[in-house]
Amino acid sequence: MTVKPRLSHLLLGVAVTSFGWQAVTAQSTDEAAAAIAADAGDLPNGGTAWWEPGEGRPIPEAIEYDNDHGRLRLYNVDGEVVTEGHPFFEPLGPNGRACVSCHQPADGMSLSLRSIRERWEETGGSDPIFAPIDGANCPNLPQGEEASHTLLLERGLFRIGLPWPPRDPWGEGTIEPEFTLEVVRDPGGCNTDPEYGLDSANPTVSVYRRPRMVANLPYVVHRNFGIGPFVGKTGEPALRDPENGEPVNMNLMADARVPTLGTQASDAAANHLQLLRGLSRAERAQITDMQGQLFAAQVYDNVAGDLLAGPGGNAFGPENLAHGDIGFLGNNTTRWVFPVADEWAEPQPGLTEEQNERRASIWRGQQIFHFRTFWISDSMHLNTVGLGNPVKRTCATCHGMHMTGLDTANGWMDIGTTNLPWAREVPLNPWTDEEELMPLFRVTCRDDVPPHPFLGRVIYTQDPGRALISGRCNDVGTIVMQQFRAFAARAPYFSNGSAANIREVIDFYDRRYNIQYSEQEKTDLENFLATL
Amino acid sequence: MKNLYPLSLLALALAANGTTARAQDLAFVACPIVQDTPSVPCWLTEYEGELYYMGVQSDVSAPFNPPWLGHMALVEGTPSATGERICGGLVLDPVRVAVMPEMSPECDERLVAEPGYVLPFEPRRPPGPSSGRLAFSPPQPPPPPEPPFEPRTFPVYFPFEGAVNFQTPGALGEILDYARAVGAERIEVTGYRAAVLLTDGTVLEERSGLAELRAGQVARMFEGLVDSVEEIDVVFDEAAEPGDWQDRRVDVRVIP
Ligand code: HEC
Ligand code: HEC
Repeated sequence: MTVKPRLSHLLLGVAVTSFGWQAVTAQSTDEAAAAIAADAGDLPNGGTAWWEPGEGRPIPEAIEYDNDHGRLRLYNVDGEVVTEGHPFFEPLGPNGRACVSCHQPADGMSLSLRSIRERWEETGGSDPIFAPIDGANCPNLPQGEEASHTLLLERGLFRIGLPWPPRDPWGEGTIEPEFTLEVVRDPGGCNTDPEYGLDSANPTVSVYRRPRMVANLPYVVHRNFGIGPFVGKTGEPALRDPENGEPVNMNLMADARVPTLGTQASDAAANHLQLLRGLSRAERAQITDMQGQLFAAQVYDNVAGDLLAGPGGNAFGPENLAHGDIGFLGNNTTRWVFPVADEWAEPQPGLTEEQNERRASIWRGQQIFHFRTFWISDSMHLNTVGLGNPVKRTCATCHGMHMTGLDTANGWMDIGTTNLPWAREVPLNPWTDEEELMPLFRVTCRDDVPPHPFLGRVIYTQDPGRALISGRCNDVGTIVMQQFRAFAARAPYFSNGSAANIREVIDFYDRRYNIQYSEQEKTDLENFLATL
Repeated sequence: MKNLYPLSLLALALAANGTTARAQDLAFVACPIVQDTPSVPCWLTEYEGELYYMGVQSDVSAPFNPPWLGHMALVEGTPSATGERICGGLVLDPVRVAVMPEMSPECDERLVAEPGYVLPFEPRRPPGPSSGRLAFSPPQPPPPPEPPFEPRTFPVYFPFEGAVNFQTPGALGEILDYARAVGAERIEVTGYRAAVLLTDGTVLEERSGLAELRAGQVARMFEGLVDSVEEIDVVFDEAAEPGDWQDRRVDVRVIP
């Protein structure tokens, strides 16, 4: 099943178009405002508490969790979620995990590296998240030893095993890839393993990826702007929803390999929970129903205070997300990607000077995100879609979806997070004994296909991304971006966890596109991102 | 308007193009050059000592899609008869630009903004977020067809050396509408590839196999989209005669 905006959202959508987005502020009169106005102090605060699979306590309509930058709020539009007997929260399979194991409320329904480490310490490595199937570098390594779980313990990465060559999504059998794949480096040992590797009886590529947020998902699976039968960036046919044959937007997972939340849930149950019987239809529906009404965002900043105080902070908090316009391309008139009105940044009575200063910095960060131009170059599926190489644009060019910064259209792109020369790699020199954790593959494009336009015929990559599904040379290292939400709760960032904190993300971009941000610009951008 | 480059070699450039079919047209392969401005950048290129202006950065809807540094571009265009210059380059209008697939790292010229230079027009799309619409509106869809329904052939054009890309879905819209409206039973897809006669007399041919590839990819796009279609035939013609951009295409024939 797919998630459709609920009636209340649709009604609000009408209000928004007739009054402009300024109408939906913390001061306005509708139900969103009522929820927003609820004093933060009235809401339960779960601290940083870990959710055990099957523990059975309900999740209230709204609950907050502390993190380094402030506080995150989860908001269930349909009210309290009973977790007892709920397939997202119960350990359905033999390894003791539930979906919630890797999608933790306090971590914005993702899983932070900090939580992973705490679990290791507290359980001596016996928590189900460390299950050998994908919580270890390779399933056949000795369990309970840190050395077997380095990718999870140091970068927050789970193993994703994908068949090679890729399955044909349109029929039986496999597709013939445009390139050959060789393993150059394999610290986890799984790609070269006789049982699990590329040369095994079931040839498998293992890549290592971060969990993604299971909240605000109506934005991830929207079928609004830019979604049709073809992938907007390449013209190839878009995947279809197996339930109704409708084209989907292909923004799920790092490689868009699953079309819908329903197929994703079945895939997750089989692979992460090792549930051999598969999910029943009813279980799937229970999971996707929950996913369709759960929203999460920061509401409080440790320095600026209540983000929803004062006028015009429409970018903030889960209620604004729940009632926002879903699946729209942001612009600079009616729907900013992240709407923060100028008034929000003006000194507010009742706030301290420090709080007001931080609000001004957050607002400047929002402006930098929208307006500070730089030269975006050599980025597959961005420079190649009619914009030219390089294109002088901004962060909002790629991160364009209203309220989430997702790509509105089918979105995998290569910004260099997994492809060399830009991917983070431990430098080889005599001054460090740090060892590289990530695998490295050599991709060689066939002679009868055009070379990759920016990387040529031989590409080195830590994760071929979408190319492991499409078999295309041009897709090597392209990754579907994640939503710009709950950053404060779920470090590290990028699909391969290569940015330990928000500043490292900004520094990556600064290097990658030679942006030359000033120190002040970096600070403002960081302060802004931490409030989402 | 302030010129960034002297007009000097214009005469020479005009003299050189006597070899093409139409005296004033140019067809050449050269590196693109990106020229920054305080607003959006201009895209220029140099041929036989003259600097030409191809267009500005805009968005996906624009008829002119800037080429790529790191690659040569095939430029087919008509130099302005009035000598109009933008960003210092002699305006080519109309102009068609295709990115050459092989990498050319020597194409890396970026010119910083000339202080004080202002584009002689308001760009349709600023470098920041848009004002809520695409820079160029798509053409109005034609009125729904009326019986008797005839077989109709629709051309779908491709850039030099290009197959299905981000522009193809737009080109297919009208065909799909027609096929659905007339309840098409058969769709016939014919792929072509072509060659181009450059101003310097060289003939540049698209790679062989491209006609088949184009036809196959377009045919696949129709699969499952029109319920009434029982058959999609794929044919292709790999002969590559020198011609113009209209020869780099696939014909889609919709048969009721
Ligand atoms: C062992 C940890 C783990 C468990 C257990 C787990 N997931 Fe995930 N989840 C992940 C990882 C890792 C990804 C990202 C995979 C990728 O990008 O290829 C992910 C991605 C997702 C996404 C995609 C979100 C997006 O925006 O793309 C959804 C939805 C999701 N999981 C739901 C579930 C459900 C439902 C279950 C239970 C049936 C579940 N997960 C169990 C680790 C886990
Ligand atoms: C060319 C398109 C593009 C541009 C421009 C761009 N991004 Fe990204 N961004 C991406 C893609 C693709 C990813 C996913 C990469 C990955 O996970 O490996 C991403 C990921 C991110 C993430 C990590 C998300 C997460 O949850 O881990 C952040 C934060 C981010 N971008 C911020 C920015 C900022 C700030 C800017 C402006 C300086 C910017 N981006 C410019 C395409 C872009």
